[in-house]
Amino acid sequence: MEDGCERIEEQLTLVARKPSFGLPTGCPVCLPVYIYLRFANLPFSLRTNSNFPDSDQIPYVESGTYVAFNNEKGGVIESLIEDGLADLDYDLLAVPEWLSTKAMISSWLTDALMYELWVGSDGSSAQKIYFADLPWPIGKVLFHKQLLVVKQLLGITKDSAERRETEIYRKATVAYGALSTRLGEQAFFFENRPTSLDAMFLSHTLFVLQALPDSSTLRGKLLEHSNLVQYAERLKTEFIEASSSSSSVPLFHSDTSSSTPRKGPSSWSSKPKSKPKREKTQEEKTFRRRAKYFLVTQLVAVLVFLSLLSGSDDTEVEFDDDDDGMDYD
Amino acid sequence: MEDGSDRVEEQLTLVARKPCFGLPTGCPVCLPVYIYLRFANLPFSLSIKSNFPDSDLIPYVESGAYVAYNNEKGGVIESLIEDGLADLDYELLAVAEWLSTKAMISSWLMDALMYELWVGSDGSLAQKIYYSDLPWPIGKVLFLKQFLVVKQLLGITKDNAARRETEIYGKATMAYGALSARLGKQAFFFENRPTSLDAVFLSHALFVLQALPSTLNLVRFAERLKTEFIEASSSSSSGPQLHSDASSSTPKKGPSSWSSKSQNKPKREKTQGEKTFRKRAKYFLVTQLVAVLVFLSLLGRSDDTEVEFDDDGTDYTD
Repeated sequence: MEDGCERIEEQLTLVARKPSFGLPTGCPVCLPVYIYLRFANLPFSLRTNSNFPDSDQIPYVESGTYVAFNNEKGGVIESLIEDGLADLDYDLLAVPEWLSTKAMISSWLTDALMYELWVGSDGSSAQKIYFADLPWPIGKVLFHKQLLVVKQLLGITKDSAERRETEIYRKATVAYGALSTRLGEQAFFFENRPTSLDAMFLSHTLFVLQALPDSSTLRGKLLEHSNLVQYAERLKTEFIEASSSSSSVPLFHSDTSSSTPRKGPSSWSSKPKSKPKREKTQEEKTFRRRAKYFLVTQLVAVLVFLSLLSGSDDTEVEFDDDDDGMDYD
Repeated sequence: MEDGSDRVEEQLTLVARKPCFGLPTGCPVCLPVYIYLRFANLPFSLSIKSNFPDSDLIPYVESGAYVAYNNEKGGVIESLIEDGLADLDYELLAVAEWLSTKAMISSWLMDALMYELWVGSDGSLAQKIYYSDLPWPIGKVLFLKQFLVVKQLLGITKDNAARRETEIYGKATMAYGALSARLGKQAFFFENRPTSLDAVFLSHALFVLQALPSTLNLVRFAERLKTEFIEASSSSSSGPQLHSDASSSTPKKGPSSWSSKSQNKPKREKTQGEKTFRKRAKYFLVTQLVAVLVFLSLLGRSDDTEVEFDDDGTDYTD
């Protein structure tokens, strides 16, 4: 990987998944990178790539011949630091509490958000983020495939489902408490300056507040800590919605027609509705019916693909088929 | 669950998996509970149960009609705290750094150890812990089944295996560094008293030191340092007897000061991943060394632990 310092004059581009929920990118892996670049005051343009919902390479940052993929070197932010483009974490790697706090966010809170997006909210949020652009049956199948992976990642089985849910929420709850204590009235968590830790946590809170339904347990837990909510509100205004910033003009359009933003900043309130019951049998029946539609659509897609193949010389990768060729890596 | 404090007079029994690697219990989930009970000075008897390698109930603590299972209420230690039997964490739940440090240990370090036991050592260690009592074909099948679960838990696939390994080792290395800085010269991590955090970390460190074959070099290295350390320290408390039996197996990797005998390394086809792995392994081992010092200082001050340290590795008492 070339030294990125020389490339900094060339325009930096962040390739991420499309906006959603009133956020510049609707994907929980992409948003921290976006925020980090904004914190670092690095001008960049935002490009959307929604073709490959499973791709591990997205988000990535490129500038000229330099490129930093998500699945290399521990992630884009780590690459940006290592390659000298933007190091907001200087001096802090030696601070034990900074590292342990970051560990807590990237394990307990990341797990909790993943749980809520995929399992807790019946997966509707995850479907919107990753599969909304795909033909419905294909998206549904891919969703269920990835849902299984997420459950395995979280160690959720039929027998352990309830216990795991309790544990995941409990850890998130204590984590929020600790973070609220740590933050107090400060602007940022450490040394009054933004670091990758803030980028990670800000991304997490924005998702919890904007992408999860009102009935979400996790959302309710976060709302109990007003200083954390204010932290999110303030930084969002300052770094994400700032349209008068001259140094960086991200080309994202808040697409409010397609994705209703959950709440305005000042009206985030917790409505203690009872969590919707997951009726497995009902869902299963629906799923079976839709699967039949999917098979029919698959047949049509195969015919379309064959006709395209015979009529085209280019070996362009088209994501219109789902031969199960997409690997979740 | 009845209030456990009434039951304290009845004998407490900890049911755990059998000893291994010179540790009172060879299972990484059971050992923290054992240590916690020792820290809390709660008398208890240890009962071995090896029938159910997959059982989520083990370890559990029982006393009369009271029982606290591993898969209830967040675990045995949490149950002991909640039910009033032994709360070593009082007042610390409000300390942000205590909680984040515990989170780091129970995520990054736990993952790293799980990786080493199941994947890094080709699973031989996990088999020893959980399946060595079962008839070989059954044990093998159960092992492979759980091996798959562990890989899913760690998010490891064929394509990302090398990358995940680097990440796991990298996180462990950073965690060791932070813990070493946090501990400094203290006896325990927080407030000069043992908490569940110390129990969890000590368990982790003991496994790393005694169960992992790749640390045999580390043990030899540590022996040298232990001598210097013990000589330098004023306390003459009996340190652990770390007998390094290094002649039995070839080290897989070593710090830069030793000649790396890469010829004996088990074959792995990915050369690029191997280079990265070697580099990371060196950092990992150097920081493991720090863990040794931490461990030595912890043990040197704790008079109550009667854990034996016969570091043969292969033999285990029943």
